[in-house]
Amino acid sequence: MADQRIEPILAKSAASGASAIPAPIVVVAVPKLGRPKGLGHLLEREHILAGVLLAPTLVILTLFIAYPFVLGIWLAVSDKVVGRPGNFVGLHNFWVNLNDSIFLRAFQNTFVYTFIATILKLMLGMAAALLLNQHFRFKRIVRASMLLPWIVPTVLSTLAWQWMFDATFSVFNWMLMNAGIISRRILWLGDGTMAMGCLILVNVWRGMPFFAITLLAGLQTVNPDLHEAAEIDGANAWQRFWRVTLPLIKPIMLVVVLFSMIATFADFQLIYVLTRGGPYSSTHVFGTYAYEIAMRAAKLGQGASISLFLFPFLLMVIVFQLWYIRRGD
Amino acid sequence: MAESESVTSIDRRAFLKAAGVATGAAVAGGIPGIVAAQKAPSFPKGTRLSILEWVSFVPASDVEFKRLAAEFGKLAGVEVTADLINMNDLNPRIASAIETKAGPDIIMMINNWPHLYADGLADVDDVAEEIAKRDGGFYDISRRINMVDGRWKAAPFTMGSGVWNYREDWFKEVGANKFPDTWDELRKVGTALKKKNLPVGQAFGHSLGDPNSWAYAVTWCFGATEIDDKGKVVINSKETIEALKFTVAFWKDCLDDGGLAWDDSNNNRAFLAGTISATINGASIYFVAKRQFPEIAKAMNHAHMPKGPAGRFYYQGGQAHGVMKYSKNQQVAKEFLRWFMDRPQYDKYIAANDGYVGGPTPYWEKHPLWEKDPKLVTFRDAPKFGRWTGYPGQPSRKASEALVKYILVDMYAQAIKGMKPEDAAKWAEAELKKAYA
Amino acid sequence: MAVQYGSRLKRAVTFYIPLTCLLVGTLFPFYWMVITSIRPDVELYNVKMNPFFTLHPTFKHFLDLFELTMFPRWAWNTLFIATVSTGISLFCGLLAGYALARLQFRWAPSVGTVIFITYLVPPTLLFIPLGDVVKTFGIGDTPWAVILTYPTFLIPFCTWLLMGYFKTIPREIEDCARIDGASRFQAMVRISFPLAIPGILSAGIFAFTLSWNEFLYALVFLSSPQQKTIPIGVFTELVRGDVFYWGPLMAGALLGSIPVALVYSMFVEHYVTALTGAVKG
Repeated sequence: MADQRIEPILAKSAASGASAIPAPIVVVAVPKLGRPKGLGHLLEREHILAGVLLAPTLVILTLFIAYPFVLGIWLAVSDKVVGRPGNFVGLHNFWVNLNDSIFLRAFQNTFVYTFIATILKLMLGMAAALLLNQHFRFKRIVRASMLLPWIVPTVLSTLAWQWMFDATFSVFNWMLMNAGIISRRILWLGDGTMAMGCLILVNVWRGMPFFAITLLAGLQTVNPDLHEAAEIDGANAWQRFWRVTLPLIKPIMLVVVLFSMIATFADFQLIYVLTRGGPYSSTHVFGTYAYEIAMRAAKLGQGASISLFLFPFLLMVIVFQLWYIRRGD
Repeated sequence: MAESESVTSIDRRAFLKAAGVATGAAVAGGIPGIVAAQKAPSFPKGTRLSILEWVSFVPASDVEFKRLAAEFGKLAGVEVTADLINMNDLNPRIASAIETKAGPDIIMMINNWPHLYADGLADVDDVAEEIAKRDGGFYDISRRINMVDGRWKAAPFTMGSGVWNYREDWFKEVGANKFPDTWDELRKVGTALKKKNLPVGQAFGHSLGDPNSWAYAVTWCFGATEIDDKGKVVINSKETIEALKFTVAFWKDCLDDGGLAWDDSNNNRAFLAGTISATINGASIYFVAKRQFPEIAKAMNHAHMPKGPAGRFYYQGGQAHGVMKYSKNQQVAKEFLRWFMDRPQYDKYIAANDGYVGGPTPYWEKHPLWEKDPKLVTFRDAPKFGRWTGYPGQPSRKASEALVKYILVDMYAQAIKGMKPEDAAKWAEAELKKAYA
Repeated sequence: MAVQYGSRLKRAVTFYIPLTCLLVGTLFPFYWMVITSIRPDVELYNVKMNPFFTLHPTFKHFLDLFELTMFPRWAWNTLFIATVSTGISLFCGLLAGYALARLQFRWAPSVGTVIFITYLVPPTLLFIPLGDVVKTFGIGDTPWAVILTYPTFLIPFCTWLLMGYFKTIPREIEDCARIDGASRFQAMVRISFPLAIPGILSAGIFAFTLSWNEFLYALVFLSSPQQKTIPIGVFTELVRGDVFYWGPLMAGALLGSIPVALVYSMFVEHYVTALTGAVKG
């Protein structure tokens, strides 16, 4: 098939380039028809095939991320402000962060936000995947609607949540009051802890469908025969899940968890729309605080040092995690 | 409706006629610009001018802006594009434009942004001085926030202030026939209103507008300031503690307890829903009310910030236009600003705004549009009492840092949450020292 | 009878009740958005009214959306951008994922790690230096500015997810094909890729959704109103200072998500059946 495709292309290029390309080249090109076999032969060698397959990824990442990445790290160790060239200041920015009470609060919040939200997303996502993996009526429409929270543009769905948490208009308060459960309205975003809880709730609501759908895809690869065999051996549903299903989908699960954690760690939009770090700087995370400092105070260097503060640490964790995932192979 | 329109347009014509001498002089002598003289275009063919602005809450104002921009395009033979976006999303666009040296030729500057972005802005001394000469000078605050080291970095465009929006009908019910003139009186009235379950609304969340309108203005009214005129942090003062005590008491007696979670938009909604009786806001509540809730528009009015022991103050906002240093079309950009700010054009623009924003100079206070709706007059007079972040020092990057860290807002919010006023002031002092370091 | 009742009860407790809870939880905010988009403004601001339904549904907000903004144009932009950048990311991720999962070469672990690390860079600030790159390539304010930058955060995930899928596919299937005379390349394209379809689809769904929703890069790199995407256009033009155009905002959110959900549901069904077939076959 590959041979067939190359032939007309060569013929065409020879025809269209007739005026420019002298005939001998066409002659030379003819023996080249045998080349695909050679190429195919080369592709049999795994490291060469690997090089070919990785090339597009490496090209895009090098072109678009290598420079910004290095520049981002440079920003973090410079006193760059918008419009002025920066000077190298070493770890000064990081030192400033460590003495900044708002930063320290953001530090703590980032961890709380990331871990609680990721764990909840994983648990609920797994539950949803197991449920959706069964046969029932209207399965299709249920699966589609389950994905909705994740598809609605985050800025817009978060606006909807903002209105639902609104001190005056909250539908939750309306429901709870009409059900007689509360007599005074709850100020969902009026207190640091409560607001953090709301942010986590919205993050879980938004992120859970992706866990569900990816894990569902993973569940599909589990051979039903294995389950039957385990059932015959007397394993109950929980044991079957724990011993058969989970180990099989673990590679996928770990990847999803890892990526989701990193994305949650760097989250910005949701918090920015819902609380902007308020009330009294109690809900800032790295993403929002870095944005305020870099964009609104125009201190790019300081802002970069906030968002890259944990980069070395994350790097270590990730390298270790990846090593752990691979060890399983 | 139609009748009143025509009456105003006659008024406007008269106004322009009265102003005609100055305008005519400017056209004949002052502006060498091709546009003002309505001559043929002299810019190279294919010249483009792109402008980045906020979207105004008055849609008609955006329509008029775009229309005038297109008109300029025709006169000058350039292609003008205007991108209008939510003001909160301007910062990343500006930072990226300055850093990559590519983007719009003219960008709107809000509040003290000219200080923040001074290194990326071209001088517009000629444009600003021309407006000043024609109108007889700017507001002090405009000069402060748009001039950096003696050079104009942005040309003042409009003034917008947050004033008290209140329900006249409910104020009367508790015996206040006019809006109280001092904070103490306001507290008395507010207490009575909250007892009737009609509290006053004030945001203390993280949002650039309303929460700062309270935090800065009240601090100043009580005679406290973040820094002194030399830049030394002086927030931890007797006056600040008084302001804090007052705010905490006001919170308990008068305010809606949802305020800690509020941003700029919550009080708009609550006021229109009739759950609060007064709040600090721009003209946007009244604007929406007039269109959609006529009874509320009828029952409400605007009033000045009350006086404190040190007087009356506003945390003043203002818009200006910066010409970007990287722009290859600086000449066209300046020509556009000159043309736009000249009276015949600017008059149309300000008229489309219907009194929801003020002009860049006291001159425009005399414009007949202010007579059209007496309820908007407060906005006309507010800029006189306006101050900038970092007052009485100079506006600066550092003041912006204090602003985006919401130090003053959080100082009040923490006191409201139960922190002792003395500790809140101490906390703010420590944070401000870092910001102003 | 009792047995039947018991099993039904069991089914209800272990299946229907949890499923219903999950659905209510996910769809409640969505329902609220629907209601907001069809309620007249006067009701929207009325705290005394039941917020769950309206007696005066109106399509005015939808009309406003089309009148006030260039929504159809934005929808088209978003579709184009999301499709192309998803295509690029899937292509790269599929090949790279296969190489890293299946092929023996010395640098495999390091390359995999490096690809992952690019995902660690927080996008909040990356847009500043990335803007330089966009400018250098001369693609500012064109769809390509985001089409080519989105893959930077999409490829790492696609690669790793597909790596995971390729690992779950037994190597023996490929080996059998090779014994039958297929080349290395053919075995990959004809045997492994089709088996990875569920993975490809979920990576595709991931990539598409992220490019569909992305905010910061689109905000900074696309400036002309006719180049905007749905989230940028709707958010930056319908939030006017402290005045939110709630109805049109929510109408935009709905119109920008329901069609996508329907398409996804087809994909999800497809990969479920594709895989069941493959395992049985």
